[in-house]
Amino acid sequence: MRITGHHPLWHPLWHPVLRIAAAVLGGYAFTWGFIAFGMASLFALGMPFHDAEHLTAIIGVAVYLALLLWAFAARSLVRVWIVAAGGAGLMAGAASLIQNHLT
Amino acid sequence: MLAAAMLASAAGMGWLALAMEPHWGQVFGGRARRRGTIRGLRLAGGLALVLSLCLCLGADHPSMAALVWIMTLAAAALTITFTLSWRPASLRWLLPGG
Amino acid sequence: MFQSVRLSMAWLHTWFGLVLGFVLMVVFFFGALSVFDREIDRWAVPQSRFEPQPMPSFDMVLRPVFESMQPTREAIADMAPRVNGPMPQTYTAIDRMGAYTTHRDPVLELFIGFDVPGAKDPEEALWAYRTIDPRTGASLPDDRLKIGSEFFYPLHYSLNLHWRDAGTWIVGAAAMAMLAALVSGVVMHRKIFREFFTFRPDKTIQRSVLDLHNLTGVVALPFHFFFAFTGLVIFAGIYFPVGHTQLDPLHQLSERLEAAETGLPHERAGVPAPIASVDAMVAEAQRRWHARGMAGEVGFLTLQHVGDANGYVSVYRAGTDRIALTGEGIHFKASTGELLREDPAPGAVGSVNEFLTGLHLQHFRHWLLRWLYVLGGLTGCVCIATGFIFFVEKRKRQHAKQGIQGARLVDALAVTTVTGMVVATLCLLIANKLLPDALPGGWPPRGDLERYAFWGGWLLAFVHALLRSAPVAAGRLSPAWAEQCRAIALLAPLAVLLNWIMTGDHLLRTLAAHYWPVAGLDLCLLASAALALLAARRLKRRASAAPALDTVKTGVTHA
Repeated sequence: MRITGHHPLWHPLWHPVLRIAAAVLGGYAFTWGFIAFGMASLFALGMPFHDAEHLTAIIGVAVYLALLLWAFAARSLVRVWIVAAGGAGLMAGAASLIQNHLT
Repeated sequence: MLAAAMLASAAGMGWLALAMEPHWGQVFGGRARRRGTIRGLRLAGGLALVLSLCLCLGADHPSMAALVWIMTLAAAALTITFTLSWRPASLRWLLPGG
Repeated sequence: MFQSVRLSMAWLHTWFGLVLGFVLMVVFFFGALSVFDREIDRWAVPQSRFEPQPMPSFDMVLRPVFESMQPTREAIADMAPRVNGPMPQTYTAIDRMGAYTTHRDPVLELFIGFDVPGAKDPEEALWAYRTIDPRTGASLPDDRLKIGSEFFYPLHYSLNLHWRDAGTWIVGAAAMAMLAALVSGVVMHRKIFREFFTFRPDKTIQRSVLDLHNLTGVVALPFHFFFAFTGLVIFAGIYFPVGHTQLDPLHQLSERLEAAETGLPHERAGVPAPIASVDAMVAEAQRRWHARGMAGEVGFLTLQHVGDANGYVSVYRAGTDRIALTGEGIHFKASTGELLREDPAPGAVGSVNEFLTGLHLQHFRHWLLRWLYVLGGLTGCVCIATGFIFFVEKRKRQHAKQGIQGARLVDALAVTTVTGMVVATLCLLIANKLLPDALPGGWPPRGDLERYAFWGGWLLAFVHALLRSAPVAAGRLSPAWAEQCRAIALLAPLAVLLNWIMTGDHLLRTLAAHYWPVAGLDLCLLASAALALLAARRLKRRASAAPALDTVKTGVTHA
């Protein structure tokens, strides 16, 4: 394990916890964002709501799995958190913007 | 038709296994293989699996046939593996005179 | 944290697999049993042992039954907190009612949803249920637990833990872990093709258990992957309720558009209207399916806004000839029988979704594929169980030296989830036959007692496994494995015997009558008993020969 600096969060005991949290919670948030953004934009492009819901759910499961695995395989945990949290926020925000535009 | 499909899967998996050095040894002992045999076994194995798929397609709607075929392959592979572990000699029928 | 991707995947595989493997074991085992849930119901409820029946006449049979249905006192009390004002004693305004059957159901399930004045959520209905013999319309006793479809099947996807869908969430996490374990397992496995057909029962336990773990994981990989995957897709609405939370306004918008497009009224008109002949509508629906070249048994029949001018009748097909879950619904105006709408064929996305969900939920008629699914499910059980044993074998000597109890605890939990789960299942079947038809006053309902027998049996198996686990801490084999195998070998024939004594349906009779639902379960019980006995013998031989346990055991106790 490579320990960067002496911040308490980098204590070896915390590392697996943060890694698992990134995989499970970060992955969940990212997938939520992906599904919301996918549903809103596909609906905006004319796909029926429930079709969009099913399609994004099917792809969403694969997205979650990919992120979960990557969170463990990736070298930099910081990058994992940035992608997961950042992606989640951006996509969920975009979904709400599209919704406000349509309703 | 489905029974034939299962039989074809089992034979196909059996031939594919025989094309592998250790399993050949389990079934035929130290008897040497001719050079063409491996390729022949692989080809026969592959063709038998394709035949099995065709038989499944003949029996059911394609969406159902695909699932039946995949599950048949799993059942066949398990059967061949356990036969190799416990009764390897009984696989000799796959290659009479081999 | 890890030196290489392979190591990170190994960590993920080991620990996620261990923690959620116990849940996965339950999901796989009861999933395999749920393939034959209706058949298990026949075994459990002797009054329902007759041939599957088509949907009966609505006008002659169903209508009088529906008119006699009222919610139970428990259901009324349960809904009371969500209603402003007092709850009425009798209910007349029917929002929705219907009947559901499959090609494997002799009995028919009816449901009815009443409008409740003052309900805080006006969409919420008060539900009542009834199971009838469709040949006569007679009701079946409703305190009988349909063990297959009402206990094993929900156990498979929700662990029967319904508080805030907690069980469904845990199963979802386990399914996700399964997918991750499959991918990471493939990454870890160096010789996937070279060892494809490899199982060496005569090597060390650790080696042969790993062979079996790899074999069952790899050979049935497509099955494992697609069942975990489609399970998650089926419940995606619970795991990611985006359309009901963040995007609810968008959902509402689409519902309004849809109602306008389908022409099926969303609300009551408030004008009373009679119901025309529903049988005539069903006949018309069947004529239309036939014209499209499809088998025409009715699977699902519903009436919406009953007794109102806006009421309509929907008739759905039992799609037994396809994997996809299609209903090809046809809708009629209830008061006149006039055709309102024929559901269009699903689009590309809809077809894919129907295929994926249909593959998992199996409404099709294909007995070979059903048995292959059982095989797949049991293969999954063997894969997980051998994973536990490998975990224990790899560490137990080390733990014994260091005085750590980890391997011991995991082994006890493995005994509980492998043989203990079978013991619990048998306790439920035995309780089902031992409990008298009429219970003394003040006792809990019969179905609840059957549930307690299951959980109680499982708890006992856990306590037993813990108490007998001391040898593991010394690097040896727990005697609990063999003892629980012997318990299975004793309990399974007992269940068969009790079925004979209490219902008179012994194997010779059911086999002679080709009544497979009951004969099949009896035969499976006897087969598990024989295999458990064999496993117990081998375990004993291994235990006395060397501190080693037989690998066959795990495969055997689950058959």
